[in-house]
Amino acid sequence: MTSLEQLAHRHDDSPTITEGNRVPPGSPILELKGLQKNYGYVQALKPATVTFLAGEVHAIVGENGAGKSTLIKLLTGVITRTAGEILWCGHPVALATPNEAIARGINAVHQEVVLCPHLTVAANLFLGDEINRNGLMRKRQMEKTAQAVLDDLGFHLPAAAVLSSLTIGQQQLVATARAAMRGTQFLIFDEPTAYLTRQESAQLFKLIRRLQSEGVTIVYISHRMEEVFELADRVSVLRDGTHVGTRLVGETNETELIALMINRSIDQIYHKEDVPFGETILEARGLSGPGFENVSLSVRSGEIVGLYGLIGAGRSEFALGLYGRHPATAGEIHWMGRKVDIKNERTAMDIGIALAPESRRDQGLCLNLPIGLNINLPVFGRLSRGPVISRGQESANADQQIRNLAIKTPHRNVLVSSMSGGNQQKVVIGKWLSHGARLFIFDEPTVGVDVGTKAEIYRLFATLLKQGAGIILISSYLPEVYELADRLHVFRRGQLVGSHDFHAASHEDVLAEAIGV
Amino acid sequence: MAITPSEPVAAAPRRGMNVLFSLTLIGLLLFLWIALGLGTASFWTPLNISNLLRQGAMTAILAVGQTFVIITAGIDLSVGAIVGFSSVILAYLLQAGVPLGIAIALTLLMGIAIGVFHGFGIVRMGLPPFIITLATLTSLRGIGLLITDGSTISITHEGFTAFSRANFLGIPSLFWMVILVAVPAYIFLHLSRWGRYLFAVGSNSEAARLSGVNVNRTIYMAYILSATCAAFVGILLASRIGIGNATQAEGWELQAIASSVIGGTSLFGAVGSIHGPLIGAFILATINNGANLLNVNSFWQRIITGLLIIVIVYFDQLRRRGSR
Repeated sequence: MTSLEQLAHRHDDSPTITEGNRVPPGSPILELKGLQKNYGYVQALKPATVTFLAGEVHAIVGENGAGKSTLIKLLTGVITRTAGEILWCGHPVALATPNEAIARGINAVHQEVVLCPHLTVAANLFLGDEINRNGLMRKRQMEKTAQAVLDDLGFHLPAAAVLSSLTIGQQQLVATARAAMRGTQFLIFDEPTAYLTRQESAQLFKLIRRLQSEGVTIVYISHRMEEVFELADRVSVLRDGTHVGTRLVGETNETELIALMINRSIDQIYHKEDVPFGETILEARGLSGPGFENVSLSVRSGEIVGLYGLIGAGRSEFALGLYGRHPATAGEIHWMGRKVDIKNERTAMDIGIALAPESRRDQGLCLNLPIGLNINLPVFGRLSRGPVISRGQESANADQQIRNLAIKTPHRNVLVSSMSGGNQQKVVIGKWLSHGARLFIFDEPTVGVDVGTKAEIYRLFATLLKQGAGIILISSYLPEVYELADRLHVFRRGQLVGSHDFHAASHEDVLAEAIGV
Repeated sequence: MAITPSEPVAAAPRRGMNVLFSLTLIGLLLFLWIALGLGTASFWTPLNISNLLRQGAMTAILAVGQTFVIITAGIDLSVGAIVGFSSVILAYLLQAGVPLGIAIALTLLMGIAIGVFHGFGIVRMGLPPFIITLATLTSLRGIGLLITDGSTISITHEGFTAFSRANFLGIPSLFWMVILVAVPAYIFLHLSRWGRYLFAVGSNSEAARLSGVNVNRTIYMAYILSATCAAFVGILLASRIGIGNATQAEGWELQAIASSVIGGTSLFGAVGSIHGPLIGAFILATINNGANLLNVNSFWQRIITGLLIIVIVYFDQLRRRGSR
């Protein structure tokens, strides 16, 4: 018996609601009948009828705002439904609280890790369920068991390490292990690979297949089509709060799914126009700084320069170096043919560099402030007369960006935190469009962004290029940089390990360079 | 444009909510005034109203300064100590024969210097605001006691001590000082870009930095404003009590923080206004004043203030949750 099964048994000993409710594989475990959720008079989820079969991997795809997160929240008891029925193992259930969902064996691994960063991995795995004797915790025993579980799962993670010392990807694996330990029968993954490296994704996929082979039903939510086809048995599509269909993965293809999601064909997503290259805007010569070493590259006007590599390979660090956040310590930056010294963000902005940073939440946005303030933040100097801001210009500038970028919001005073990922990304971009720049650095501009918004962002790139700008596009998603970049640079361990013209190298070659095989 | 369906209904425009909240606070203040007017004979007498305005004025100015700091998600625990210390410095300078105008200017400069020190501790030394201002709180009291050798310095300047008792257009001069501070503070916080930067730094300092906001300068500015407001209040206090004493204004930092929070400022940063803390300060002053008139034990006043903070902030939280 593996240690994971032992732990699951530890839960079987205590009477739970799920006891005696095991469903044979392939028959319905969870059925949604006309499930519906309204917020005020906004229909977040229109009556949906979906059946989940025991032991299947069921993918759910849809644009941001299509109703996926509403569905997860309904299934995990975070919110209660407006109408409809949920059948669990054939019986109607309330699923009114998170505790009820967990007691029935329904668990979710969220995109943002919800664990305690200051506790050890073992303490997090056992949180709320510690091994006690006489009221005292058995710390060493928990660490031993936790390590056994992690080894058993094939995660190479130390159980005694403090959680915050791990990467976000590793923390996500810990969250997954935690769910796997709880005798889960029904496990929901919400975009689990958004922050994972390739190796970590591979480990996660292995775990998902293993849980499936043990009879666990998996719901897998993702924007990445190739993952859906790699993992899932069936796939359901949501669009604008409506369940528009469920397909067997073997009987559908990417084109059909995307058409269902957006009524738009795949060719239009990677939008690339032939823009003639102009003068060299920026040239880095042997640039070194914290996290990157001896990087030389150049960007011309009209050109997209792609930087590809695994997370932590030094791409974002290089971008922050160019932008003056962590200034370069050696090497030279030439701007329009002249050597410049970029000491801080302000210098970078003033010469004409804009950065849409990697993390919207941590670096890009003031979440609990209005859209308008976020958009205007870099340009308040321009909107002020003397010390006082011109309220008219302030509103006009915000409204203009909201209109230009088709940001979905009732008003510029709405808080950014209430918007979907795609719309938040548009606010980050809008901020820099209103400031204006010659060189735009986009770091992971489409993480957690739906297909429709992705297409809009790519079209925007073309517009910027035609206006004479240059773009540095950083992405962990190979097709994105591969299809868009005129020149593709590959980073590994802080160094530039390969440079290719558009489509000059194959996907496999680029990947091999990034991983270092 | 329609609201994105899967998202919770977006928060209503902020300004509308803020106006509503301010109206609730003003309503509470008016309710207290009417109730006290009906409950006591002496509340609506000119003498008592002047007294109330004088009592509230100093807390109000401290609360405005404190609000700048809290909006950046910081805290300034030293303001009470700065008030006491400033009264000592001013009295000491006057005793040494320094002309009044120069003495006041030097005291305000000292306030600026303390603010710079706080900024230095937070930005350069990386100390949490709570710690550096707590350290100043205790050291300033100590320095003040050293200077005065534990006693008080009397202020003999007649014109100066008369100022706090004087009226202008029938309104106490101390209350005019609130207006003198509040109007520029309002312009600064709500109408200038520096105010926007305070909010941005309090919401997400990294995002602000990457948007070209000089985060360090913004933090320096917030603490300088708070300390300067406190030094100014120290001068007003010296005028009111006619002495310099390092142990004066004990616990005023908590009154200032309470006024600010009652006025809708969020201790997590990025939420706050100028009018809110002003109303908050006068609500607290009214409760103290009313309790005195009703002969309520002054110990009860502290308990009532505590309960009021819980109730008002609780309702504010409900409002925020409800507006999601």
